[in-house]
Amino acid sequence: MKISPTKKILLSIISSVIVTILIVFLFIFILGKNPFEIFGLMLSESFGTYYGFGQILFKATPLIIISCGLAICFHASLFNIGGEGQYNAGTFVFAILLIQFSSMPFILAFPLALIIAFLTGGLLGFIPGLIKVKKGVSEVITTIMMNFVILSLINYFLLNFFAVKATVHTEDIPINFKLSLISDFIPAFKGSSLNFTFFIAIVIAVIIYFLIYKTKLGFKIRATGFNEIASGYIGLKPAKVILISFFIGAGVIALAGINFVSGYKGYYEFGFSNNIGFSSIAVTLLAKNNPIGIIFSAILFAFLDFGGLAINQIIPKEIVLVVEAIVILSIISISKIIDMKF
Amino acid sequence: MEILTTIFSFVFLSQVLRIFTPYFLGATGANFSERGGVINIAIEGFMISGAFCFTVITVISGYSFLGISFALLINSLLAVVFSVFVLKLRLNQILIGVGLNLLIAGLAKFFMMYIFKSSSNTPRIDEIPRIPFLESIPYFGNILSDYIILFSLILISVSQFVLYKTKFGLRLRSCGENPEAAETSGVNVHSYKFYGILISALLSCLAGIWLASNQNSYSDGMVAGRGYIAIAAMIIGKWKPVNIFWACILFSFFEALEISLQIIPTGIPNQLIQMLPYLITLLVLIGFIGKTKPPAADGVPY
Repeated sequence: MKISPTKKILLSIISSVIVTILIVFLFIFILGKNPFEIFGLMLSESFGTYYGFGQILFKATPLIIISCGLAICFHASLFNIGGEGQYNAGTFVFAILLIQFSSMPFILAFPLALIIAFLTGGLLGFIPGLIKVKKGVSEVITTIMMNFVILSLINYFLLNFFAVKATVHTEDIPINFKLSLISDFIPAFKGSSLNFTFFIAIVIAVIIYFLIYKTKLGFKIRATGFNEIASGYIGLKPAKVILISFFIGAGVIALAGINFVSGYKGYYEFGFSNNIGFSSIAVTLLAKNNPIGIIFSAILFAFLDFGGLAINQIIPKEIVLVVEAIVILSIISISKIIDMKF
Repeated sequence: MEILTTIFSFVFLSQVLRIFTPYFLGATGANFSERGGVINIAIEGFMISGAFCFTVITVISGYSFLGISFALLINSLLAVVFSVFVLKLRLNQILIGVGLNLLIAGLAKFFMMYIFKSSSNTPRIDEIPRIPFLESIPYFGNILSDYIILFSLILISVSQFVLYKTKFGLRLRSCGENPEAAETSGVNVHSYKFYGILISALLSCLAGIWLASNQNSYSDGMVAGRGYIAIAAMIIGKWKPVNIFWACILFSFFEALEISLQIIPTGIPNQLIQMLPYLITLLVLIGFIGKTKPPAADGVPY
């Protein structure tokens, strides 16, 4: 039986969600708990209220931005595990710059800080790209090593130069550089941290969608990722494409800090990222690297994250990490099985 | 000066050998897998599961040999799972490896909370008993009487011998270089690839067990990227046992230096010293080696 590629993708996404749910339900059942009760509690505590829904969108915001960056890398078959480091570095630089720019108007300072954060992330992606191109060393190893190095460096600079005494966070950014909360416009969301960054994330997703599927560069990225050797024969320069995709991808990841700095706390705090860099891998893979799909997949994972808090009394919220990993394994294997069958 | 006298002491050398052990076990394991043509990024996860399973059962039963057996059993099962994904379904080995790493790390965090109600570490366990008659050796008795350290030192020549002087080694390497040719000459490629994966899972398991036993507990994040550093050591060692040994010694030397630097007041901030092992790994990958040349069919699903 032949079905269209789009249907194949949808079929594999839906079936891997179902398979994941089945595996997780079984797992919870074996532990002697009632999976339906837990799932019901998660649903009612999250989507059941405006506050919960707002929190989910708030938590989805950085996931969307990071996953869009990852999607560019993954389309080029670059397995960037360095999201955690790139995200932290971008956020740190963004917060520091906004504090330094306190005398500038918003319209100048905000974009400038964003561009420099993008370039910082981009540079951090460029390095593992260069090592891959020049030495043939897998980017998985180098990006993991870079995570450790970047986090130590940030920790050093933060504690020695930028942190408020006896804390692990920077000073507050000037109040005029903070973005509005959605609850200022829609009072029903009162209490939730959902802010304007969510719309920035949607815009980023749309831009990356066009970049990947509708531009020449996007074609080059996909062609290189699909078959590096063949892309060389049709006149592309795989090494160059790898470097560019790593640069843009990591740069986009670095932008995700807007949500925390400008939209939420108003400062950079060490350890704020809470492994979102790794969760985003699952988000991206489940969306089959499609930026529009990423929006929905990010909301699903944000629901798991937020719902995890609600069920913590019954079952440790760390189960969410297990679910993420099962999603990764099932989407990869089910896509392959569906490819073989149809 | 103080640093120099520290480096040339038996204490320092013992420290190097202790750090060396988990790296070398992991790197040798990864090498067996890659020589059979399977990229195994999951070394990190295998180490975590080894350390965690060993600690849990040792805490519950009070016997470290039960802990060791259980950890080895679980890691063999994980090797089977990994093999089903990469050999039967022929999936992308790196993706599956990373997925397994996240799964194992997540399960360890989950069960730590579930069993011990703690997000940081398990109750204390005793160290694995030592080999009694080796403990009296002057200076190195402490190191050589440790079963796992001794095993990893012997492993250097064993892995060299197995890879290059036995039928098993030749066939394993043929699967990594040219699986079609190997199959044509009657080698069951899939079973050899599975043996490679199994060896890597068991050796990484030992590495994890050693870490937990040495720390007297399992704590969250204790493996701390050692699995990835082990793979880097294998790459720098160009997939050859003796070179891998030197690469691991290099990394352990710097890490032992890092620990000494933390104790001796040098004026270098701690955060910068802590990143040394990872920075050194990166720098070595960038600078000291030529273009790496893995086994010809490494990572290619067969």
